[in-house]
Amino acid sequence: MSSKILKFTLNGEPVEIAVSPEDMLVDVLRDKLELTGTKKGCGKGECGACTIIMDGEAVNSCLVPAMKAMSASVETIEGIGGPEKFHPVQETFMGLGAIQCGFCTPGMIMSSKALLDKTTSPTSQEIKKALAGNICRCTGYVKIEEAVMAAAEKMREKQ
Amino acid sequence: MKEYNVVGHSVRRLDAVEKATGTAGFTSDMKLPGMLYAKVLRSPYAHARILSIDTSEAEKLPGVKAVATHKNTPRELFNTSATMTFTVPPMVPVLDQYIFDNVVRYVGDEVAAVAAVTEKIAEAALKLIKVEYELLPAVFDPLEAMTPEAPVIHESHKKNIPGGEVIQIPYGDAEKGFAESDLIIEKTFKVPVQKQAQMETQAAVAQVGLDGKITVWSTTQTPHPTKMILAKIFSVPESKIRVLNPPYIGGGFGVRIGLSAKAEPIAVALSMLAKKPVKIVYTRKEDFIASDTRHAGYVTVKLGAKKDGAFHAMYLKAILNGGAYCSFSCETPGVLGCMGMAVYRIPNQFYYGHSVYTNTTPSGAMRGFGNPQAMYPIESVVDMMAEQLGMDPLELRLKNIMQVGDPWPLPYKCSSTGLAECIAKGARSIGWEKRGKLNKPGAKKLRGIGMGVGTHCSNAWPWCGDYDNAYITVQQDGSIHLATGVPDMGTGTSTSLPQIAAEVMGVGLDKVSITFADSASTPFTIGSHASRTLYAAGTAVVEAARDARKQVLEYAGEFLKVAPERLELKDSVIYVTGQAVGNDCSGSGVCQTGESERKSISLKELAYNAHLRNKQFIGVGRIVPDNAPPWHAHFAEVEVDTELGQIRVIKVAAVHDVGKAVNPMIVEGQIEGGVLMGIGYALSEEIKYDEKGKQLHDSFHKYMLATADDTPEIDVMIVESNDPTGPFGAKGVGETGLVPTAAAIANAVYDATGIRFTEIPLTEERVFRALAESRK
Repeated sequence: MSSKILKFTLNGEPVEIAVSPEDMLVDVLRDKLELTGTKKGCGKGECGACTIIMDGEAVNSCLVPAMKAMSASVETIEGIGGPEKFHPVQETFMGLGAIQCGFCTPGMIMSSKALLDKTTSPTSQEIKKALAGNICRCTGYVKIEEAVMAAAEKMREKQ
Repeated sequence: MKEYNVVGHSVRRLDAVEKATGTAGFTSDMKLPGMLYAKVLRSPYAHARILSIDTSEAEKLPGVKAVATHKNTPRELFNTSATMTFTVPPMVPVLDQYIFDNVVRYVGDEVAAVAAVTEKIAEAALKLIKVEYELLPAVFDPLEAMTPEAPVIHESHKKNIPGGEVIQIPYGDAEKGFAESDLIIEKTFKVPVQKQAQMETQAAVAQVGLDGKITVWSTTQTPHPTKMILAKIFSVPESKIRVLNPPYIGGGFGVRIGLSAKAEPIAVALSMLAKKPVKIVYTRKEDFIASDTRHAGYVTVKLGAKKDGAFHAMYLKAILNGGAYCSFSCETPGVLGCMGMAVYRIPNQFYYGHSVYTNTTPSGAMRGFGNPQAMYPIESVVDMMAEQLGMDPLELRLKNIMQVGDPWPLPYKCSSTGLAECIAKGARSIGWEKRGKLNKPGAKKLRGIGMGVGTHCSNAWPWCGDYDNAYITVQQDGSIHLATGVPDMGTGTSTSLPQIAAEVMGVGLDKVSITFADSASTPFTIGSHASRTLYAAGTAVVEAARDARKQVLEYAGEFLKVAPERLELKDSVIYVTGQAVGNDCSGSGVCQTGESERKSISLKELAYNAHLRNKQFIGVGRIVPDNAPPWHAHFAEVEVDTELGQIRVIKVAAVHDVGKAVNPMIVEGQIEGGVLMGIGYALSEEIKYDEKGKQLHDSFHKYMLATADDTPEIDVMIVESNDPTGPFGAKGVGETGLVPTAAAIANAVYDATGIRFTEIPLTEERVFRALAESRK
């Protein structure tokens, strides 16, 4: 199939890239743009490891045809913070033991960020619902929920 | 209790930054120049002979660089599990697998593989491979597979018992014990196929150099044994093979102790054919159907007790479904028996157990390794016994649990136990006194409370060989490098082992870095499994650090002209014991005639001084570990919706005697995750097969894992019994989180409903039917 030019904003930077119409966004991110922080755990939208934020919403990038990202604003784990300035969710995931094998972590952090971008006062139930599409086999979710709660508090303090 | 500087502290994981920023290296993220992508053709049939296989069309497809089948790959038998490399005589490992065979033995068995320039081309090529099968009769249940008319799955293993190995463990005189018992209860339980469902699927990248050297990055939990298996398959010296993690693994839970299913040999075989690096990443479906599962099977418990509640005899029997290939099917029934026999002081016991080949996905190692299969039945029968005796099940357990120094069937000692404390703390947390008083008459939703206890091991001996090694090198600036072969599959090894090194060396954790999980740059270890990593590799790290520290102090003694035994090493400074750092000694009592006036030196200065005099401090740890029992008590409160058959876990209190928590935050995380996996084992996780042997639960959509939304309150508490054999008193904790969980939940469900379930998981369907039956 002939390739098409996909233009979108990726972590704040404009990107132009040739993609095939059948390409999924996760593969464009991982293989073509070499942003392997976004993980692929099932390829069918069942595990959430590939979660990114597209136009403010947490989505499974394995279910998004790449061309659907045309003109969209996409955030991946690589764009939300690093050693110079971590995102509060990254800080609390690191500090409160919410990370084990680390394979679900980028997706988990992106789902958490999408929630906290909408509300910095989530209830426990809202956190559980927001993360229900992200499977973690290591942690039992206990410390993950605590980390999201603590990140919300940090964000409220900054407001 | 002794306070340490680094050990016992919940420090942030050393891999946290990489993992929180998405920069941590995983096999499935790797890309090498010129790398090809592999896909596997799998059997659609449960049992069939391959009459012919034609790959010519596939080879012609542009972009295809190699096609591997049983015709052009080594005909060398192996076992995918690491046990192949450390089974100690007179036991012999069962070797029953080729990379590809001309017989397929389960749906998903490997038939051929293709390497191509893209994954899509490789996948398209699979469809062009023509295979002619002759269907053979198949069998899926272990009891049926033992009957004389059952098809033989491996010609050299008659009666379908892998290696013919039946484990029998006599202890005391069981027959006499039952004759002397006042009460005897016997029950048979059926346990399901559970899947590890680790987040990163099986994966490998193989690079075969033109000089014959082979490098394999993979998801294995055991780089060194995996190197040995590959050396055997490909007839290459072990020194020419390097197996490593890059350096992280997206979970393990036992699914890759040895090979990552067959990802490594398939990638190597294709790389040899194509002369290019080859990457293979299993799809989630492949991971479900073609990598080891937990053993399902039938477990019988017969328990005899005296009137006063003292257990007097136990007979335990397990017939496990081993699936199509052996993997860990000889070891799992052994651990099941040993762990089941070690919890209570029962003077007369007998265990009989083995696995049976069937035409299902191979069963292998999964967290708990037979122990959950033992404890759900045993703890159910203990509760039944308590009811018969009219005793509180908690009191009955306290009366019978193993104590330090008690004789037991294991070849190592019961060196420590905090189980009584675990039980007391858990009972308080769950509100044990509420038991039996939770429900109003006529309620549609019934609540119940139950408990379960258990033990486990802290390494792989006596079930197979177990030893470990570590290097510690003091760098020329006084920082410390630790090299250990064990992987970190998420359990925190790459943080807790440096914590141990820092503590022994007398430096801060920020001065320690670690290389791990690499067969070329680390000394041999049997890997991360058997709850052994912190206990056994940690013991090697302690030894290596002591060795390096001794060398440092000896050199410092010469430098400071003080006997080394009088020196301390703390916060990276070597100083004379009792003398403040930096103080001149003149006039103090510490001074002795002829000593220099300088009484301290930083490790940094000392290491550089040594370097200029052509010396490095290199500590080597070479250990054969003892073994030690971790203990645990789980208490569950459940609510059973009697109209829907739905069970909701309200709370689990999980109290674990871990000996010593080197990093309490990491230990809690291990237990929390284990508990949720145990809840899944009890309530929802199961792979079933259709009548043709096809797996009915082959995706996250069909296989019901708990999500954040399903997680109950989990109250984890740590008890520290300071085991005399473990590093800083630590015992294993990686597997214990799920050992007694299903037992506690099943007992809570009985407390709520009065129904004793003898089969798990307690799905809505199963519970609904049982409730309907009970109303008749």
